[in-house]
Amino acid sequence: MKAAVQVRMETGAYAAALAAKYARVDVVPGYPITPQTSIMEAVAAMVENGELHARFIPVEGEHSVLAAAVAASAAGARVFTATSANGLLYMHEVLHMASGGRLPVVMCNVNRGIFAPWTLWADHQDSFAQRDTGWIQYHCSSNQEVFNTILQAYRVAEQINIPVMVNFDGFAISHCLMPLTLPAQEDIDRFLPPFEPEWRLDPAHPSSFSNVTMAEDYAPFRQMLSEDILAAIPLVKQAAQEYREITGMWDGDTIDTYRLEDAEVVVFAINSMAAELKLSVDILRDEGIKAGLLRPRLYLPFPAEDIIQALPKNAQVMVLDRNYNFGHPGGILAAELKSVLFGRRNDITVKNRVMGIGGVDLTRRFMANEIKAMIDE
Amino acid sequence: MLELRINGFGGQGSVTLAHLLAQAALENGQQGQALPFFGVERRGAPVRAAVRISPTTIHAHSQCDLPDYVVVMSEKLITAAVLEGINESGSVIVNAPKAVMVQNYPTWQIDADSIAREKGLFSADGPMINIPLFGAVCRVLNIPQNIMEQTILNKWPGNGKYNLAAAVEAYNTVTQIAR
Repeated sequence: MKAAVQVRMETGAYAAALAAKYARVDVVPGYPITPQTSIMEAVAAMVENGELHARFIPVEGEHSVLAAAVAASAAGARVFTATSANGLLYMHEVLHMASGGRLPVVMCNVNRGIFAPWTLWADHQDSFAQRDTGWIQYHCSSNQEVFNTILQAYRVAEQINIPVMVNFDGFAISHCLMPLTLPAQEDIDRFLPPFEPEWRLDPAHPSSFSNVTMAEDYAPFRQMLSEDILAAIPLVKQAAQEYREITGMWDGDTIDTYRLEDAEVVVFAINSMAAELKLSVDILRDEGIKAGLLRPRLYLPFPAEDIIQALPKNAQVMVLDRNYNFGHPGGILAAELKSVLFGRRNDITVKNRVMGIGGVDLTRRFMANEIKAMIDE
Repeated sequence: MLELRINGFGGQGSVTLAHLLAQAALENGQQGQALPFFGVERRGAPVRAAVRISPTTIHAHSQCDLPDYVVVMSEKLITAAVLEGINESGSVIVNAPKAVMVQNYPTWQIDADSIAREKGLFSADGPMINIPLFGAVCRVLNIPQNIMEQTILNKWPGNGKYNLAAAVEAYNTVTQIAR
């Protein structure tokens, strides 16, 4: 049942801030970094003018942002924050604290290339560099998907007590003004009821948290985390389906596909370039090449079974990576894909190019030409 | 999908112009997108912004490399703006005091500086040319005048009088240059 909706022109960054408001977050620690800053500015303004009943905590750097987020989450608050690039890298140690502590923080990372040298614009080295921190990672390709995914992320995070990172491209999404459909708040309240943690730090009932563990306790904790991250896949699907039932909106679940069913050439990419690639697929189809798109919306856990099921027989998969897999040729997505196809889909050929580093503009025509060149390789 | 690129100098209001055009598209029942390029901002340095208008969902997120329209905020930028790329059947909308023809492209001219001054739209940085250019571009793209006016009134509720006068003047005086 769809209640009244509103369509407004908003940037991707403001869409993220609005999602935090719709999620009725309790605590938001923040520190500015381009291109994320406009999210924290918007949330701070919403708190200041009474639109959002939350505590905004300005701190002195990203390490402290996530430390405050972890502490507030352990105290039972629904927590939101956002960062980019080197801010995310500075959080690296505390990312492990959030996942190991099983704290369902939701954080936006506005993808930006990594220092050095300095760059302001998008690539995916920052989020991919956090692969082994035990966070669930979504990657979004539109402003609307950013809004929808943050709400779905809280659902999933709080069901299995694992933090979730919602990634999207700096500037191409964060500073792009597009129509945004806002569902009714009461519908979102039905989708995302208040956070009721099973356990919380409470000064009235003192307890210790995350003490030194001997191997016989540490190992089962880590095994549980590894298994529970994989168990997020059905929950991600369920969240996407229930969100669609309530709001009518759909961005895919673990994956999103376009003209894939009969495709002989499958383009595999994430984030805003994957949206533009729908137009490249159209160009290639017009030229008689049976092209299609497979976009993993979920990077972690990597949706192996859904990808294996979705790829058409004998397809050539062109992986377009906006990152480097240092020490190996090519990018990280290609390596992830090959590892899940090995021994399962020997009919598939995987080819790979790295492009768009540090915000190099990726137009539909440029990418269509790259794909054509890859076919002949 | 219609694609448009604004080429201007930092401080001329290219970002606001892009936002207004995308907003007007939505008011007009279409999808709109404004995607300014943010660099190392300096007042007076060349800047650009992409605008897309489409009846259906816009999937493009690149800068407009071969736009259908190039909006040139200053005569001094004509050569650079065209060199940056334009669709071979594209058109150019130029802010210039007198008629100017840009190569063989269909060219529209508007004297946005004079209109802004006449209507009292200027700041310490000079005339606010983005508002008359908004009116002119709406006219060239066949966005109805009432939609153009409503977009301004929504953007500056209760305070759009000077903006409105300048945009309407430009809407009605933008001229297609005869070859």
